[in-house]
Amino acid sequence: MTTSNDTATDRVTSRHGWQWSSLAAYALPIIFVLLLIIFSLAVPYFATWANFGNVLQRNSIIGIVACGMLLMIITGGFDLSVGAVGAMSSVVAAVVIVQFSMPLGILTALALGLLVGAANGFFIAKIGISPFVTTLATQVLVTGFLFVGTSAQPVYGVPESFTVLGLGRVGPVPIPTIIFAAVALITWGILRFTTLGHYIYIVGGNKAAARLAGINVERVLMTTYALGGFFAAVAGIVLLGQTNIGQPASATDWPLTAIAAVVVGGVPLSGGVGQVWSAVLGTLLLGIIANALNLLGVSPFWQPAVTGAVILVAVGLDSYQRKQRERR
Amino acid sequence: MPKGEAMLLEMRNIRKSFSGVEVLRGVDFSLKPGEIHALVGHNGAGKSTLMKVLGGNYADYEGEISLHGDKIRLLSPRKAIDRGIAIIYQDFSLVPDLSVAHNIALGREPRGRLRGTIGHAILRRRSAKEAERLGIRLPMDASVRSLGVGTQQLTEIVRACSREVRVLVMDEPTARLAPAERELLFSTMRRMADEQGVGIVYISHFLDEVCDLSDRITVMRDGLVVATRPGADYTLDTLAELLVGHEITGREASRAAAPTSDASEALGATQLSVADRPPLDLAVAKGQIVGLAGLVGSGRTRLARALIGDVKADGEIRVGGRRVAHVDPERATKAGLSMVPEDRKTLGLALGATVEANIVVSALGKLLSVLGFVKPGSRPRLAEEMIERFVIRPPDRRKIVGNLSGGNAQKVLLARALGSRPVAMILDQPTAGVDIGAKVELHNQILAAAKEGAGIVVISDDLDELLDLSDQVLVMNGGRLTGSYARSDLTRASLLAAISRS
Repeated sequence: MTTSNDTATDRVTSRHGWQWSSLAAYALPIIFVLLLIIFSLAVPYFATWANFGNVLQRNSIIGIVACGMLLMIITGGFDLSVGAVGAMSSVVAAVVIVQFSMPLGILTALALGLLVGAANGFFIAKIGISPFVTTLATQVLVTGFLFVGTSAQPVYGVPESFTVLGLGRVGPVPIPTIIFAAVALITWGILRFTTLGHYIYIVGGNKAAARLAGINVERVLMTTYALGGFFAAVAGIVLLGQTNIGQPASATDWPLTAIAAVVVGGVPLSGGVGQVWSAVLGTLLLGIIANALNLLGVSPFWQPAVTGAVILVAVGLDSYQRKQRERR
Repeated sequence: MPKGEAMLLEMRNIRKSFSGVEVLRGVDFSLKPGEIHALVGHNGAGKSTLMKVLGGNYADYEGEISLHGDKIRLLSPRKAIDRGIAIIYQDFSLVPDLSVAHNIALGREPRGRLRGTIGHAILRRRSAKEAERLGIRLPMDASVRSLGVGTQQLTEIVRACSREVRVLVMDEPTARLAPAERELLFSTMRRMADEQGVGIVYISHFLDEVCDLSDRITVMRDGLVVATRPGADYTLDTLAELLVGHEITGREASRAAAPTSDASEALGATQLSVADRPPLDLAVAKGQIVGLAGLVGSGRTRLARALIGDVKADGEIRVGGRRVAHVDPERATKAGLSMVPEDRKTLGLALGATVEANIVVSALGKLLSVLGFVKPGSRPRLAEEMIERFVIRPPDRRKIVGNLSGGNAQKVLLARALGSRPVAMILDQPTAGVDIGAKVELHNQILAAAKEGAGIVVISDDLDELLDLSDQVLVMNGGRLTGSYARSDLTRASLLAAISRS
């Protein structure tokens, strides 16, 4: 008796659950497509290949950062130091390229990014400082070292050929976008095919349960933050490719923009859930809105305000829906 | 009542239902001034509900309550407090970082010179006086966080009694106290009753303590009062019989005899000492189920968490006969030990993840992956297999675990433990809060796992569960193993008596 009752109620809830979750799952793609159509009709020059290439070119860097941010957000944390790590990466790469060689510059920058990320993970997982405080501290620390090391002066002298990484194209596709796609693909592969990826979800879902189930929570967190730092360093090298100048004061807006992209993509900061396409789509959504405003001749000063409103509306819809569902 | 003594409190024919289920089915209860009256009964017997009615927590109770002969309706906690009824619940409601004096005065701080300020000196003096009146000595300026549990308990009592108190209810006040702290509490209770005429209702699971301390004892079972008699009329055994009900003769052993003694060891511990408790030894053979009985706070869960390396402990732990060095949950799991933690929501499951993700967690690193990559298709395969084996409803591996019923969520948890093909398992309250159908299925799976050769430790508050599953029952008390019984030597009443000795 009990069992059949159970089954009946479960079937009802599962049908409702399916309806809601499927709607919620496709809300963002639907909004994205709708915006694409509206902008194409209403905004002059929006629907041109040149413009699309431009949007991709401008947003690939944030997209790369957002992929790392996604991993950290799924574990229930985030990283405020990605901007500082990006700036460090571009400055260090510039210095080493000028002094020694291009491959060594890239490798050094990537290794340093990995190191700072691992340090974040160490303080968060082993010492137990919250992600907010840890990454706030490393952000300030890294920026400080950078200013001391460069006397806050930009680093010039990177050969012109290096700009291929930031400005070059393969056919119509910008090279930064190819790098972004590769990073997104790697992130997808980690989450889908590796034990690490599966553990990231469980650790984000319930740390105590993950530990008792035999997962090495500390190692998972350290690896995740190391990856986040690594991706930020990749983004820093692409940035150097765009500007050809190692600028210690650059990239300060990366952390919050990347977090915004991920949450607009529908990933809650509470952890345990999230997919790569959320980070990709969130990045592009913010990108096309900025681009449309630009083409419409709206002052760039308006852009932060619009971004803020988009975050509130997109995340608000999602959260409100979730709250309604929980109440039933 | 004898001598026609005036009653302080009388509750007559009290009834209370929760969504159609009657939890109190016409209960009579009385309290004399200066009396210590113990209220005993199983979990779910209705003790706490009765006391919550008395505390004014349920406005929709039926029945009659009179205090000093005046009929009263207790419709809100405020009303109960105003009538001089104070209730100290199991979980303290103290603010850890405030001083003892401030906690005693919480919510009625005296005004300082200016409106909106607190007169700290007056407050401290007043709190000290209130403690002194009860004959309790407390470090007034120490923060509550820095105190032992016993002193916290006394702080709570002073606070509860700082208003005019005529009825004091204490819900399991001694569960977390050391023996010396217990004595202090009892003498305080005695003094309050004798010198100030306070009537004390005292809920406890420690039957020997109850027998020693109480003027009268009321036994509740299934929402009814079974007996109310003077404390001296009871013995430990008669009390245990009343608690359990008519069924005193032992049940037939419901499972086949324990495996032969030459079966090799699945889980073992030697000189394992958790926190500052005395060291203990433990051995579970392959195919054997060992029940771990004891009261709440007796140290069973702590022992379980020590075995899997979640809390620090000294001594040796063996899984499958091999020593696990520097044990932590990861190493223990690799060695073949799985755990089903007691609280599936906070310690067991990732509620936002799917059934599949939860089921495969423990097996992933060990059985389902190569060099960090998950073998294609292995995840859904294991999930489907477990869903079928455990009859998880709905049979959908993509379902979010948080949306499952309690029984099905618990099946997911047990499926996870079994999925890693453990040598030994520790199951902490494996059927808490699940319906009877799921419970039977879970029991069958546990028995099947033992038959397949796993050594299993079952921790449970449910005596029937322990008797149904176990080959051997160990009793814990105060962090120590205080008894070991073969299943065939136990009845429900004898087991209850064994765990109820403080």
